[in-house]
Amino acid sequence: MTQLIVSDVTLTFGGLNALSNVDITIEPGIITSIIGPNGAGKTSILNCISGFYHPSKGQIVYGERTLTHASPHQISNIGIARAFQNLELFRGLSVLDNLLLARHQNLRYSLLHAIIFFGKASRLEAENRAYVEKIINFMELEPYRKSMVGNLSYGVQKRVEVARALTLAPQLLLLDEPMAGMNIEEKEDIVRFILDLKKEWGVTVVLVEHDLGVVMDISDQIYVLDFGELIGSGTPQEVASDPRVIEAYIGEE
Amino acid sequence: MSANRWLATGNYFTSYREEQRIFFTSLDRTAMALFILGLFLWPFFIDVGNKYMLVIDNILIAVIAVMGLNLVTGFAGLISIGHAAFVGVGAYTIASFARVFGENHFLLSHAWPVMILAAGAMGAFFGAIVGLPALRLKHLYLAIATLSFQMIFEWTMKFMDFFNQGQTIAVGRVFWLTGEVSRSAHYIFWYYAILVLIVLVGFAVRNLLRTRYGRCLIAVRDNDRAADAMGMHPGLTKVYAFALAGFLAGVAGALHAYLYRGVGVESFTLHHSINYLAMAIVGGLGTLPGSFMGPLAIKMLDMQVEQLSEWASSHLAFAANLATALKPLSFGLVIVLFLMFEPRGIANWWRIARSYVKLWPFRY
Repeated sequence: MTQLIVSDVTLTFGGLNALSNVDITIEPGIITSIIGPNGAGKTSILNCISGFYHPSKGQIVYGERTLTHASPHQISNIGIARAFQNLELFRGLSVLDNLLLARHQNLRYSLLHAIIFFGKASRLEAENRAYVEKIINFMELEPYRKSMVGNLSYGVQKRVEVARALTLAPQLLLLDEPMAGMNIEEKEDIVRFILDLKKEWGVTVVLVEHDLGVVMDISDQIYVLDFGELIGSGTPQEVASDPRVIEAYIGEE
Repeated sequence: MSANRWLATGNYFTSYREEQRIFFTSLDRTAMALFILGLFLWPFFIDVGNKYMLVIDNILIAVIAVMGLNLVTGFAGLISIGHAAFVGVGAYTIASFARVFGENHFLLSHAWPVMILAAGAMGAFFGAIVGLPALRLKHLYLAIATLSFQMIFEWTMKFMDFFNQGQTIAVGRVFWLTGEVSRSAHYIFWYYAILVLIVLVGFAVRNLLRTRYGRCLIAVRDNDRAADAMGMHPGLTKVYAFALAGFLAGVAGALHAYLYRGVGVESFTLHHSINYLAMAIVGGLGTLPGSFMGPLAIKMLDMQVEQLSEWASSHLAFAANLATALKPLSFGLVIVLFLMFEPRGIANWWRIARSYVKLWPFRY
């Protein structure tokens, strides 16, 4: 189990500080939530961790490795997967192929094997298909297995997004607003998946979410951002009673 | 418990390996086998003469080139306006060899399959180099980069002495098991040679598309940010797509050189690049059957329009000028109509027809 430490990270776009001196420690095996009002820098911090942005100052360390300047594909290959806030699925492919794409690095056969297909490529494809089916079962996506992703409903697409991140077999899963725009039932489903992930699969989850009810219910640790600055952290109870957090969310009296 | 493999009904699979098959029913497989067999056998029964055999050979060569273009533009979503230049790279690989070692060099006349592969490798090499801007550029900007390669290619060929300033460089006749391929057997010989190659390449591409090397192409087309997060290098995947397209184009170019027994730059101009793009669009971007239907449709159209304009100019002398404009006009019109009404190409009609037959007599 590996700890992810974000230390003193500053991210600037021109003159704007999207993040300033943020320190976050993500302990393995628990659900850590990052909350904050719109534009607080929640997604920016996920982008920094998953390599889409590189912080202008500070360091991101995962176990022994420094991720500060790594690119997204390197980061996904060391076991950090990420689900996007706005659906970033491969719309022209079936659910099955979307998930199989997440097995890209596990399908270790050469171009020649692929052209001949029979033999190694066929065997590895079947093995990884079996793995993908495990995820499909877990995320209850069986009815949509062969449907084109672009034709599915929003809620299901969100679930495919999470499933695809999961198919990378990550130790650390970054979920960027997995419940945005969902109805209460779909939210309950996703919450159930996240809790199962933690319990049965031992995956560390980082959750960015607007629905405070959900966050307070399932998080073990919460970090609160506002205008790119960390304004509070702790267990849900501690955060809920923190005057600075209340001020950021509700405003002054 | 045995599954019914002949029809779609009751055709179930019990392992993931069974589900990988290309032809889901034995009916499909048999139909395909018969179709390919028919392609090999028909010249024994019908004599179309050299003129039409050349047209057919041309269509087949275009099929190989368009298959390459479809991989990079249809599947990987990278518009390439320089595909004819890649075909030219393949053709000029053969031509350069002929120029340095003589047009009847042993390797050229006897080891022609090796030469064709070498031309393909050269095409792949240039494809990868031209694809390098894909590491940084996207969309239209990348298309302009490929266009620049087309221009550089044409100018190089036209102004370098080594390439005979774009004039024809002769390539000798090839040998087969029965000796030198004679003038009368030339076109039919190449028909079979290209056909064998198409069957091989077709199945190779089909296999590619059901493995990670095909899926990654569609991934960078649909969403290269997500492709990056899935653990592949999106830039290198695009370079690989260009190399793949370059390979097939190079093979097509080599075949062109052998078929015409000579190479001149006039067969690899921007006009031809646009033509290949049109074939890919009319056939259906991002579909394998489209790569076969597009070239067939466009070449047939060309031929029909040519005959029509010939007829028109001989019968209606006053309209002779208009008749010559008929070809580019109809070509443009077809592309516009397809883009407007059937952007998914002829392959989509094929798909609809197939699903109709599969469900007949039920509507859905």
